Amino acid sequence: MSKRKTSYSIERKKTRWGWIFVTPTLIFFLLFSFYPIFNAFYTSLFNKKLLSLKPPDFISFNNYSYLLKSLDFWDSIRATLVFTLGTFTPLLIFSLIFAIFIMSRKRLQKFFQIAYYSPAVLSSVVAAVIWLLIFDPRGLGNQWLNLIMNTPGIDHKWLANSVMVQMSTMLVYFWKYVGYFTIIFIVGLASIPQSIYEAAKIDGANDWKNFWYITLPLLKPTTILVSIMSMLQCLKTFSTQYLFTQGGAPLAPINVITLNVYHTAIRDHQIGRASAMSIILFAIMLFFTWVQFRTSRADEISY
Amino acid sequence: MKKLFTIFLFMLLLSVTVNAAANMEIAFWTHEDPNRTEIEDRYIAEFEQANPGVTIKRVTSGSGQIQELILTAFAANQGPDIFNMSIEDEYAYIVNERLAPLDFQAAGYPSLQAVYDTYVPGVLDPVTYKGQLYGLPLELTNWCIFINKKVFRDAGLDPEKDYPKTWEEMVEVSDKLCIREGEILKRRGFDFRYPYYLVATVPMVEQLGGQLISDDGKTAIVNDEAWLKFLKFMQEWGPSGRNLGSPTYTNARKLFNMDNNDIGMCHTGLYQIGRIKADNPAFYDSKEWMVVPFPVFKDAVKDVPAAYYGHYYMVNGQKPKENQQMAWKFVAYMLSHPEEYLIKVNIVQPTVELMNSETYKSMPYSDVFGDDMAKGHIVYYGENSAKIQSLIKEAVESVMLAGVSTEDALKTLRRKVQEVLDEG
Repeated sequence: MSKRKTSYSIERKKTRWGWIFVTPTLIFFLLFSFYPIFNAFYTSLFNKKLLSLKPPDFISFNNYSYLLKSLDFWDSIRATLVFTLGTFTPLLIFSLIFAIFIMSRKRLQKFFQIAYYSPAVLSSVVAAVIWLLIFDPRGLGNQWLNLIMNTPGIDHKWLANSVMVQMSTMLVYFWKYVGYFTIIFIVGLASIPQSIYEAAKIDGANDWKNFWYITLPLLKPTTILVSIMSMLQCLKTFSTQYLFTQGGAPLAPINVITLNVYHTAIRDHQIGRASAMSIILFAIMLFFTWVQFRTSRADEISY
Repeated sequence: MKKLFTIFLFMLLLSVTVNAAANMEIAFWTHEDPNRTEIEDRYIAEFEQANPGVTIKRVTSGSGQIQELILTAFAANQGPDIFNMSIEDEYAYIVNERLAPLDFQAAGYPSLQAVYDTYVPGVLDPVTYKGQLYGLPLELTNWCIFINKKVFRDAGLDPEKDYPKTWEEMVEVSDKLCIREGEILKRRGFDFRYPYYLVATVPMVEQLGGQLISDDGKTAIVNDEAWLKFLKFMQEWGPSGRNLGSPTYTNARKLFNMDNNDIGMCHTGLYQIGRIKADNPAFYDSKEWMVVPFPVFKDAVKDVPAAYYGHYYMVNGQKPKENQQMAWKFVAYMLSHPEEYLIKVNIVQPTVELMNSETYKSMPYSDVFGDDMAKGHIVYYGENSAKIQSLIKEAVESVMLAGVSTEDALKTLRRKVQEVLDEG
């Protein structure tokens, strides 16, 4: 009886300390994540103008029905999905390749890690400004490509063509984030015990078989983490598209949802409608995250 | 002891209250202009000396960023006491009643009518709303064409005779001035200021008989033929047409002052003269630049130059009454130096006295700007003018860069602008 009482009180003590440690994070999330989400949802039910001091009219789900009928909004969904697919897929594949490449090096591992990671340290705005200069018709982009392809004088219209401008935004994002996800893969690769590879070597497995039958399956949790993080990052993209349009690029091909939210709120002063748009984006992100978890349920790995 | 402590506490509270009442900070947000900063910093020092306890905090931001900084500050009810932007961005603040009407007594005028009488007729109309006056003009600006004479001569042209009078001539002259390396433009003849479509490109449509919005304010895009001709012109101008310029190249106005043989012409206001002087005194002194009127189309049905726009000083209506009065007093103090603004910054504060003064008349090219302004009209302004401007930008850039046909671009533009009008 006293044994049960002791374990019960230890359990309670543990729980109490658990709550003490978790509370600051919970408060932080409540204040800076959950409250803005609920507030955005509440605002989305009103015809609220950013500058108006009059109490806004309650319009129920009218902002949502307007958006679902709006060609502009559907164009933003298209631009966001194209960007996400075009960036997230190479990000996932190349960060894994780069991680394996770095891990296979016996020397200069740290140098490669820093080299790949360094663009991630830059703010997105600075990165976009650097690339704006590169993509200027007289900039390095045209000079390099013309030198490599031996096509002097060709303007590749990095920002002045609807297909190229989409490719350019993808390139900037890929450059900026590939190092970040490479480092996460490196951590995942380092956690796979060497003994498994040694056992496989004794059984006569080559590097290719090691990769397909050991590395890739054991890396599944990291792959899921990277795929969710990179996908969410892509869905939230803003500063590259914003700065490119400021630099003269046409809006429609790269009018991603976040940029549309910004224009609707700041340029058009329609904060209610912009909130509805951000709630839809939140729902899209939630949906894709759920799909990724559903399709990769057996992600518990034990060595 | 207790009594002594209470008296001490009371005295402390009293001194804090008196001090707070005596000290007043006026936040003044404006766009960057080094020439203005120099004289306005001096006005601030003089004003603070004449009004002890008042501190003016002048904060500058880039002319492309200030709109959203002020908007977000007002949205959070934290707007500055004084600010200025172009009227098409400011008008929404008037109709949403976020501003304090002019306190003519605080500004040193005997009556409101005296304020109207000080300025050129019509100049204060955009800031008059429901019988109240909400702004005083920092500057009234229109754009003409600035020409680099050296670039003309380099291309074998005589700037005095061969400068473009029509948009068709602008295409031909620009083509001659261009230096190309394959498809890449090393030197442009002329290029537009792309974000400012209401100021410079809507008048081009008006020259052809079109209108942005009908006279009754209910219908968007009047006269399809004029709009299609204008869009076709812009399509031809761009990289997929005759490749004379593009929004993706560096802003022509910024390059002009440097005189680096990369731009022949640009369009801008009288203030550019002050900026040439500040940025490149050698080029300014060389007199290798000149200003000519805004071109018209060969078959124009109306002679419409670039629209003029005003930057008005406005005062935040959410600030305490005493701050509002002090803010208007300070604005009036700054604006009591129109000649210095003209000489040192090259901006025109359209008072009757200044426009008739020898200082203005003897200003280089003030006659060119004055003649164009007399023929023109104020830029389109309304609660949603910033949105309408970006919709025109979208349409023009879609035909220039994204391969959209002029008919489709016009159809989309009409649908979107009409929606803005219908939503009010």
